[in-house]
Amino acid sequence: MGVGIELVHDGTAAEIGPTTGGAPSVGAARADGRAHGGFERFFHEQYPVVLRIAYGVVRDAHLAEDVAQDVLIAAQRRFPDPLGSSHAAAWVRVAASHLALNSVRGRRRREDRHGRARMPCAPAGPEEIAVVREEESQLRAALARLPRHSATVLVLRHSGLSYAEVAESMGVKIGQVGTMLRRAEAALRKELTRKEVDRDVRAPRS
Amino acid sequence: MYARHVPDGRLRRLLDEPFAVPDRDVAHAGRCTRCRARLEAIAGDASSARRLVAAPAAVQDLDVAWTDLAARAAGPRRVAALRGAPRRRWRLAGTSLGTGASVAAVSVAVAGIAAAATLTTVFAPTAVVPVPVSKADLQPLAALLRLAKGSANAFAQPSGSSALPFGTVSWSSSGHGEKVASLAAAEAATGVTVSLPATLPAGVGAPSSYFVAPKLTATVDFDSSAGAALSGSTLVVTIGPGVAVSYSGSGGVSGVVPLAVAAVERPVATSSGATTSELESFLLSQPGVPSDLAGELRLLANPSTTLPVPVPPGASSSTVTVDGSQAVVLTDQSRVASGAVWVGGGDVHVVAGLLDAKDLLGVARQVG
Repeated sequence: MGVGIELVHDGTAAEIGPTTGGAPSVGAARADGRAHGGFERFFHEQYPVVLRIAYGVVRDAHLAEDVAQDVLIAAQRRFPDPLGSSHAAAWVRVAASHLALNSVRGRRRREDRHGRARMPCAPAGPEEIAVVREEESQLRAALARLPRHSATVLVLRHSGLSYAEVAESMGVKIGQVGTMLRRAEAALRKELTRKEVDRDVRAPRS
Repeated sequence: MYARHVPDGRLRRLLDEPFAVPDRDVAHAGRCTRCRARLEAIAGDASSARRLVAAPAAVQDLDVAWTDLAARAAGPRRVAALRGAPRRRWRLAGTSLGTGASVAAVSVAVAGIAAAATLTTVFAPTAVVPVPVSKADLQPLAALLRLAKGSANAFAQPSGSSALPFGTVSWSSSGHGEKVASLAAAEAATGVTVSLPATLPAGVGAPSSYFVAPKLTATVDFDSSAGAALSGSTLVVTIGPGVAVSYSGSGGVSGVVPLAVAAVERPVATSSGATTSELESFLLSQPGVPSDLAGELRLLANPSTTLPVPVPPGASSSTVTVDGSQAVVLTDQSRVASGAVWVGGGDVHVVAGLLDAKDLLGVARQVG
């Protein structure tokens, strides 16, 4: 049994669920000589991007690795010849965003009971760490509340993809990316502001 | 001429990719107070979003990630990392153990999973770097693992074990190193492919012999002598299999090998319970490890992905690019013999011969 990922290319839905079929044979690829050398190259090209996209959402290095690896395993099954595919790269990027967003939706109520592993740039002081964690927690919650395509365009663009790459990944025209991004950034601000207002309103009661 | 206000999306793109925005829009945004005000608001939101969302550059080593992927794909499938609580990799669904299984079977499975759960790749080189080694360095290094002199013969056996000052080492190999009839036979036996050079330097004849080396797995079990950090942990190192091809001289001179080409699956080390830095710190602090050499090795930027290539006394080293990878080229004092080592495609490649560095590189770049 494997993990199946089904994406609707406009970014409106992503499902994860069990599927039948053998596990991808990355290990076997090595043993087969270079039969899957194409996928290894694809992996080397795309993994850093996928990892960055996942980390942009989940803010946890280990969980981002999990997301990235699940996406690449699924991609291997879906694209036997990813370098020859015109949309394998786009698929893994959007899949990373969707899977990461799914994961934070499932985690929203389990915030920070465990120390999370971060990419190595975390501030040193405990107060700064607390501030960053609070921000990250709010960001995850806000991303989870945004419409899927808004969260996706934010994550893809701010993981370093160009407008052309974002457009290709999301299956939209390049001229739409700026508009989508603008709306998503405004929506993110509103979500974060609303959260702050909610907190301020609740605070006096407690 | 009247110009329309610039749409939000185009103003947003102006911040990131200004050359992609038509000149007339750029000019308009520069002189229109209303568009400038919108641009400021858009820039504020964009800046906040970037600060919050932009992830730092990924740091995970790609080859380690590739190894992890292979292990995950080969292992029992997890049903989504993405649904549960934060966890380390290798988490397995408890339900997969099956409610009807016997207690004994469950215990064995749990023990196996527990062992697998803690395995971490601590060494999987993707690059090479020259490390000078003096004559004084070599002897104590060999003594460190009791491989010097008589003890070294133990490794000639396909499997066995030996005591170490800090535990035990046991090893096994997938067969014997042997000479085979052809390159095809060597590749079939090992799964390692070797590209032979189409053009050879003067003095080098045809391929004359083909050798295969088995896959060797060595396991070091650290005991309490290794200290608290390593005690009870296990280090598993695999290397090989590999293929070597030697060439004869073109002048009919026998007994001289002017060129040899080899490829070996890169060594990979996994550890249960110890990190790369703990292992490095322990091994380099062992009595007998020369402090200069230890210092050189500690300077390696990423010891888990860097294969040190020893540069013997009298040899000189340089680094060049072969097939997109950094290669270390060693040349002897007389400049008669040279060798190149690099890591590419998951293999360690070696080309060596009685050639000057230029001819040798000519061969290496065909092989790479």
